[in-house]
Amino acid sequence: MKKTTALILACLLVSVATLAQQFTFSKKNITIEELSNEIAKNTTYTLVYQSSYASRLKPVTIHVTNASLQQLLDEYFRSQPYTYKFINKIITLIPKESLPPASRLVNIKGKILNEQNEPVQGATIIVKGGTQQTETNENGEFTLFGINDEINLNIVITSVNYEPQEVNWQGEQELDIRLKQHISQLGQVSVVSTGYQKLARGNTPGSFTKIDNELLNRAVSTNILDRLDGVTSGLIFNKNTNLSNANLNQSPISIRGRSTIFANPNPLIVIDNFPYTGDVNNINPNDVDNITVLKDADAASIWGAYSGNGVIVITTKKGKYNQPLKLSFNSNITVTQKPDQYYLPFMNSSDFIDVEQYLVDSGFYKSLEVNPSHPLLSPAVEIMILKRDGKITESEANAQLDILRTQDKRKDIDKYFYRHGVNQQYALSASGGSGNNNYYFSVGYDKNLSTLERNEFNRITLTANNSFAWFKKKLELNTGIIFTASTQLNNNSGIINNITYPYAKVADDNGNPLIVYRDLRQSYKDAVAGPNQDTLLDWGFRPLEDLRNSDNSTKTNDYRINADVKYNIIKGLDLTALYSYNKGYTDLENYQNQQTYFTRNLINQFTQVESGVVTHHIPLGGILDETDNRYEAHNVRSQLNYSRLWSNSSNSKKHAINAIAGAEVRSYKTQRDDTRLYGYNKDLQTSTAVDYDHAFPLYYAPFITSRIDYRNRNKGTTDAYVSYYINAKYIFQSRYILSISARKDESNLFGVKANQKGVPLWSAGVSWDLSQENFYHVGWMPFLKVRATNGYNGNVDRSVSAFTTAQIDPGPNNWNIIPATIVNPPNPSLRWEKNHMTNLGVDFAAKNNIIEGSLEYYIRKGIDLIGKSPLDPTTGVTTFTGNSADMKGKGVDIIIHSRNINHNQFKWYSTFLFSHAEDKVTNYKVQQAQIWYYCDPGTLSPLTGRPLYSIYSFKWMGLNPLTGDPQGSLKDSVSSNYDAIYSSSDLANLKYIGPANPTFFGSLRNTFNWKQFELSFNITWKWGYYFRRSSINYYNLFNTQVGHPDYEKRWQHPGDEKTTSVPSRVYPANAERDAFYTYSDILVEKGDHIRLQDLQVSYNLNKSQYKALPVQALRIYLYANNIGIIWRANHYGIDPDYVNSMPNPRSIAAGVKLDF
Amino acid sequence: MISKLIYAILFTGGISCLLSCHKKEFLDQKPSSDLFVPSTLQDFQALLDNDTYMSETPVLGELSSDNFYLPYDFWQTLTPKEHNAYIWASDIYQGIGSVGDWNFPYQQVFYANVVLDGIKKVAITSGNAQTWNAIKGSALFIRAYAFYNVSQIFAPVYDKNTADDDLGIPLRLNPNVDEPTHRATVNQTYTQILSDLLEAKDLLPDSVPTANLNRPSKPAALALLARVYLSMQQYDKAWAYADGCLRLHGDLIDYNSLTGSPLPFNKSNKETLYQSKLLSSTDVLKGLVYKNCIVDSTLYQSYNTNDLRRSIFYTANTPINPKGSYNGSIFLFSGLATDEVYLIRAECSVRLGNRSAGMSDLNNLLQMRWKTNTYVAPTIDSDDTALNLILTERRKELPFRGLRWTDLRRLNKDGANITLTRQLNGQLYELKPNSSLYVLPIPPDVIQFSNIPQNNR
Repeated sequence: MKKTTALILACLLVSVATLAQQFTFSKKNITIEELSNEIAKNTTYTLVYQSSYASRLKPVTIHVTNASLQQLLDEYFRSQPYTYKFINKIITLIPKESLPPASRLVNIKGKILNEQNEPVQGATIIVKGGTQQTETNENGEFTLFGINDEINLNIVITSVNYEPQEVNWQGEQELDIRLKQHISQLGQVSVVSTGYQKLARGNTPGSFTKIDNELLNRAVSTNILDRLDGVTSGLIFNKNTNLSNANLNQSPISIRGRSTIFANPNPLIVIDNFPYTGDVNNINPNDVDNITVLKDADAASIWGAYSGNGVIVITTKKGKYNQPLKLSFNSNITVTQKPDQYYLPFMNSSDFIDVEQYLVDSGFYKSLEVNPSHPLLSPAVEIMILKRDGKITESEANAQLDILRTQDKRKDIDKYFYRHGVNQQYALSASGGSGNNNYYFSVGYDKNLSTLERNEFNRITLTANNSFAWFKKKLELNTGIIFTASTQLNNNSGIINNITYPYAKVADDNGNPLIVYRDLRQSYKDAVAGPNQDTLLDWGFRPLEDLRNSDNSTKTNDYRINADVKYNIIKGLDLTALYSYNKGYTDLENYQNQQTYFTRNLINQFTQVESGVVTHHIPLGGILDETDNRYEAHNVRSQLNYSRLWSNSSNSKKHAINAIAGAEVRSYKTQRDDTRLYGYNKDLQTSTAVDYDHAFPLYYAPFITSRIDYRNRNKGTTDAYVSYYINAKYIFQSRYILSISARKDESNLFGVKANQKGVPLWSAGVSWDLSQENFYHVGWMPFLKVRATNGYNGNVDRSVSAFTTAQIDPGPNNWNIIPATIVNPPNPSLRWEKNHMTNLGVDFAAKNNIIEGSLEYYIRKGIDLIGKSPLDPTTGVTTFTGNSADMKGKGVDIIIHSRNINHNQFKWYSTFLFSHAEDKVTNYKVQQAQIWYYCDPGTLSPLTGRPLYSIYSFKWMGLNPLTGDPQGSLKDSVSSNYDAIYSSSDLANLKYIGPANPTFFGSLRNTFNWKQFELSFNITWKWGYYFRRSSINYYNLFNTQVGHPDYEKRWQHPGDEKTTSVPSRVYPANAERDAFYTYSDILVEKGDHIRLQDLQVSYNLNKSQYKALPVQALRIYLYANNIGIIWRANHYGIDPDYVNSMPNPRSIAAGVKLDF
Repeated sequence: MISKLIYAILFTGGISCLLSCHKKEFLDQKPSSDLFVPSTLQDFQALLDNDTYMSETPVLGELSSDNFYLPYDFWQTLTPKEHNAYIWASDIYQGIGSVGDWNFPYQQVFYANVVLDGIKKVAITSGNAQTWNAIKGSALFIRAYAFYNVSQIFAPVYDKNTADDDLGIPLRLNPNVDEPTHRATVNQTYTQILSDLLEAKDLLPDSVPTANLNRPSKPAALALLARVYLSMQQYDKAWAYADGCLRLHGDLIDYNSLTGSPLPFNKSNKETLYQSKLLSSTDVLKGLVYKNCIVDSTLYQSYNTNDLRRSIFYTANTPINPKGSYNGSIFLFSGLATDEVYLIRAECSVRLGNRSAGMSDLNNLLQMRWKTNTYVAPTIDSDDTALNLILTERRKELPFRGLRWTDLRRLNKDGANITLTRQLNGQLYELKPNSSLYVLPIPPDVIQFSNIPQNNR
């Protein structure tokens, strides 16, 4: 692969004089001017000379037939006082007499490497003030012949993509020069990886985004993917999502928007050569060298049916041949603030108690009070009932209530459940290599103390990558072993949903756990399970005690073993065979001992007393829930790589072909085993058998019978894929590139006939470097290239099948027999989803790369998408899932790098990213029966002509001035018939507001360098989308105790409607009225915002700069993340990325990196 | 150089061959251990055992019947379907589809059809014949039961004079979901129900599977035949199948042996022939938990104080709520049980002229329902008195079992002239005998997708 790359580099960079024209020429007395015109007319070369020289050149008579440019020039200059020289495409004149005598000349040798110690090929070396120049070969070596041996000779090294460097030669035998890469990522030699091959960016028309090592290490994180946030063009992290709701099929990351409805929405993650199926948290970011994001059909279609959502290729660090041992140590510590408990809307205790009093007075709790199942009543309501029934006096009651009014559960939660997070990261690596072997070893340790009390994450990673080469590197073997072990403690769920009332107190003033009312009336619990009762266990719920007793952990072990062999068969043709084996175990263990409320509650529920005999159907002791997840993946690939460069002797015609073809087999198996043991004793590791067969009357409601939850199940999945692929690029004259790619995937997609298992996908692309053309004379923009690609990616929805498919139920039926459910009616015409993308791009660079960038426009179409169609329920099936939907999308990705100040001591560079991505469902067969489904955040309700995730609402027509009732619109007239609006099937009663996901996003990153200091900060923005803010919902407030501070702003008297839009309180609560308000457009807000995402400061020292430094290089850095919102469109202080959850708290990291 | 190239091609060729040789098996692997294409007897049995779907029967008839009434404020909070069915409104759905009363039975039909279609491909051997027959018989029974339940709500009562013209229900007989839906005539509907049951009764096992009362048996098929013929007013056939059923399984529970617990019945009790329940999604009839379903006082008062059913079927609180029977849970039993079959045989005996046989069945049943030694057999002097007594006891024995609606339909057809009334917030609602409102409207989504004719109300 390396050699291929080298060849591509060579063909791009070697500026050998290529002579395009054969001259047949007969003319008398040609002047230098005429000759210059002749060359300009027939070749791409320019003859440059000083006018003072012209007078000393005599006209020459020339007769040549089929001569090359060189021959022509030789003829002309044979008897002149000057000779000529090619410098790239420029022919310059050199006075013949200035050539120094041979005796005074020396040769200067040297080697030019980049920061990664890779040889820089094709760099130009010029003697400052002199005329001599040369270029480096493929090993980065050069020799300047016949240099005048002077003191203080300076040579200048220039190369595309590298900063020019001036070196003072003091007679060294061999110069060793390091070049620093441009910040530019667009540069021609930037190498991108597709997982199948490494390509020079300039040699492919495809759309790639590369995040290099420097940019990756700008951020500090435990998870590698987090480092892509805000710095990757076209890639967005979808923050305001509900990933736990599988119906919504949302993805945490999208590349260029969305193109599927029900199939897999996630980008493919590739590590080095193969898809990674384990948890991405298993990857130590310190082992990652760079990341390439494949965005369009040309880039991604090599991944065929897995590439519909784009591909993220992670390239890990490797050793290098001929490199001395290099040790590197990186360590940092990150301190994270407590999440803001006071961010989410919260109804204060006093208002809440007032509402409870109102409900008591209205008789709301009457039926609950007499309900034989003893449903929960809150402490305040219990006090009010006692007062009402005369069991306590009014003043006693008020005194008790006044205490509750001062309490705030957030204070206790903040105090007892949260803390500052502290993450520590350590990474040590050693790399190096000899002539035929190189290695990279690393060990990493992460210890994260979460912001949630008692939650932790610990990870150890070990990596060993080795390469061996034999027979002059004709045969190469690469091996890699990566091991990850992690332990996560999940003792604190953080979501204290079980504490329903706002005035709950979890601990007394001495920190002793207090009871919080839950599930059943505390008065009932106290009566049946008091301390003197021996029938039941204590029934009190003490959240703080539960936190202390919690014993919930996840242990993960993950192995990746890779080996690949490359054999160079003949020049340009390599055969590679690759194998990768992944295996991972994740064991979740949740031990809820007998002191936990969960266990005590369950034991009590299943306690039965018959004729004085107490039976615990759930035995005393703890309950252990275990989930073991295992996966195992094999990947085998054999691939032929062909890479050749041809040029004729005069280099006037240059072609290159770079092609791969191969086949691969993938198998991926998972196994999940769930078990629950009752009566578990952790010390003895013993458990007790229970009776799952019989239903028992529940202690608190003997008329309800229930069986003991049977939680032991096993499930395995097997994915099998066979794929064939070919990808070829033809490059002509370094400026025209044609790229084609084709791939066929076959899988064990369930039940589909063999001929439909596979899907052939293809792509084609072209690019044209205009700036290399003769006619191109735009001096201020020396580089301009256009690209166009077109093709198909695929996607798989494995939940559908061509045959009637049934699924074994997870548990037994009422008769203790495991039944099965039909999950899929027959669908013989099932196909894979296809994704068509056309991408048009322009790359450009201004003079001296002051501004460079790229602009891309794409359109995409999802074809044959899996969609749902309604069916006549008489068929026995109400919805049918098949290839019935289509989507469309389009967007723009713009990247601009600018060097605003590029002074030796002070530099200011900026990177500007702008992306636009929008999608639209163009064909969807099901319309929801009632329009409220479109407003419901819990269902995915695609609607033709709208983005897949959209905000719809009911039209808001203000509050009724007499009643404070919200008013909507039904068939264009003002209406308070909420039920009719809510359950209408007429889309005219529904208002489309806009997309729910950002359609425009990007960032501006400024980097300042002053001497050894660097400071950079990233400003990100998202706009073009909407979200729904919450408000008071009386139905939920009365029934589920969910309050909202908007309660204070409610309409209370006529006239209030002028200043508020919060409806009046009514009893009984009308669920439709509340739902109408919740889904009305008065509560929809624009999501647009700008955020100061992060800031990084670092101090870098190098041994070459400070000889006294005891190490080779030293970097000290500070990194602040999630700094804050600069501007937002909404006036409610809502962070649109975190509408229903607490925002990611600010964090600050400090670290040091040492290279020995 | 060339030879190296050949080796390389041979090598890659070899790998590709190796791939393709095992490719078929490799790609035929099952993607998930819990997924399968139903093809074995075991698979089919597992589908039929899915009691989540199989045990649900329509509730619209019970909601429209006269066993209970609802307080006004509670009635206001009901879903449109429940709300409107209670007052016999002409449109009950208000445009809201996905009606369980229709969808569950047709889902049962779909499952049965998947089984009937698939079992054809399983060869019958001496080893599997018994199971094979039982599964096929079960599928036929389930299909017939679903068709019958739908027909009692959505098709007019059987009238042999108009049965060839009256619109019955859609009869889907294969699992293909893309075939259009048509309404058969009432005659075709009953013919299909009967032919499925007649085939099923000879395939099903003779004994009732007490441990798995979700599985049909021959006695259950005979009991269902008796119920179907009774609804068709063909009393000779109804008598014969009721008799056949009781000869195989005629157990009765002595209610004196039941405890006073809130749920006195075990779901595997010896009277039950086949377990099913009224649509569990409706909360209107869950009298044990929701206290708004109030038992008709005339009905309640008709139980003698020595009649144990008074405390076993109903709660002790005021107003009285129904507890249900034979289900062992808060849901209402709607399956087949021997008490119903005794009452069918009793009624048919009297209608066929054998009054003493009919009275003897009734007395035998009531002996088991009253406190020990308190029941005195009444002296009956005419067939009409006997019939009226049997019909009264039928209502008292089988309340809240989804049977009353069919009885109202057939008895009114027979001239019983029963008018139902409801009173809500001062407003009176009436359902006249033989009203077209006795045939409920087909759900709107069904009409929308299939374009079948709606019932004329």
